[in-house]
Amino acid sequence: MAVSGFEGFEKRLELQFSSHDPVIGIGLRQLDFESVEQVLQEVQCTVVSALGNQHFDSYVLSESSLFVYPTKIIIKTCGTTQLLKSVRPFIHHATTLNLHIMELRYTRGSFIFPQAQPHPHTSSQEEVVYLEDNIPSSLCYRKASVIPSNLTSHSWHVFSAGAVEYSDNLHPLDLYTVEVCMTDLDQTLARKFFRNPNDGKNGDSAGREMTEITGINRINLNAQICDFAFDPCGYSMNGIDGDRYSTIHVTPEDGFSYASFECVGSIYNDDMADMVKKAVKVFGPGTVSVATTAASHDMCTRIKAAVEQLGMKCRSYSMDEFPAAGTVVFQTFTTRRNRI
Amino acid sequence: MAEEGVVVGCHTVDQWNEHFQKHASSEKLVVVDFTASWCGPCRIIAPILAEFAKKMPHVVFLKVDVDEVESVAQEYSVEAMPTFILFKSGKPVDKVVGAKKDELLSRIVKHSEGAAAVSA
Repeated sequence: MAVSGFEGFEKRLELQFSSHDPVIGIGLRQLDFESVEQVLQEVQCTVVSALGNQHFDSYVLSESSLFVYPTKIIIKTCGTTQLLKSVRPFIHHATTLNLHIMELRYTRGSFIFPQAQPHPHTSSQEEVVYLEDNIPSSLCYRKASVIPSNLTSHSWHVFSAGAVEYSDNLHPLDLYTVEVCMTDLDQTLARKFFRNPNDGKNGDSAGREMTEITGINRINLNAQICDFAFDPCGYSMNGIDGDRYSTIHVTPEDGFSYASFECVGSIYNDDMADMVKKAVKVFGPGTVSVATTAASHDMCTRIKAAVEQLGMKCRSYSMDEFPAAGTVVFQTFTTRRNRI
Repeated sequence: MAEEGVVVGCHTVDQWNEHFQKHASSEKLVVVDFTASWCGPCRIIAPILAEFAKKMPHVVFLKVDVDEVESVAQEYSVEAMPTFILFKSGKPVDKVVGAKKDELLSRIVKHSEGAAAVSA
């Protein structure tokens, strides 16, 4: 492992709001860009590209992604960003639109360089204390947990808080989230996420080329893709397909290479295991973790089978229950040649 | 001409036809911004497009709200916003999907080469 490098593992926050008013309309999408920029400044990132459809807005950030639905915000940021600093301002801005926080979920993998993280991310305990201090008491169904695996480098950190229990929840029970974290990427595949010096391209056109040559555009053929390539290396994309988002982020440098794929699925769509398989294939990672929130046992089993078809072996399968978020399943895989 | 230097909004099919047809037989590059009032990324790019229009009087900039002029958005299969379609002689020649300032500028410059020099 490199002594120091870019932290690929993202921190991810999901905030669910509701209104007493039966007509919500575009809700949070009304937030003016200056307010969003101010929140991002606290977190220490900026918008580099953006795309919306009739269901939601997506933003590619200098450090990962932001999605804004009428009553939901999902933000994930990598590196040494201070993501949790966005909790209070997002809740405040929503209140000005008559939207009240109903649920919060914070998840992340284990950092490669934990010593590099600033306040309030220096440890899992510090994050939980900060969250407890910055959310209203109405979010009373709370639980924090670190879900282990038998790979010491991979564990899944979850904090969940809600105003109601998951089973009584307001948002549709057919939706689930899949978060895939990949390390030790195949070097030949990772090289595709480096730009040629003086390629004369901008980040948008270089990003589009990476989307095409790596096969990322074939993961979900129905998705509209908003992509960006960083200089000298690194890549981010958001996919929008109806009301479903997907997102990929890549830190390709040898020694701390990392890629993530995240997607929201519906039990009515059957393509999740196939998409995870295609996404993992793009990177040829040595190690993969897959965290699913609120997915069925059957779906977790199908994802496992799909990843194993790529010649990887499932090394652990752990789960935990969260009163406001349902079941979180955390699976890890390594290539068959790797010993633990 | 009143249209030069500004982004012209087309709020009805008639207005669209009028503005679009006017340039369909000319060599002028026409940049159409398909936008929506509820789309956050569209609000980011709007002031940038206005700046482009000011600096590039040799290019025609039109704006179509996909709710107001739905049939035109459907005709060009606009599914995500903002989408920019570049037209020459009434035919689409290029497309940029997303609020991508640098990419949009480079495509506009590419297709308006030979016209007035651009500094944006």
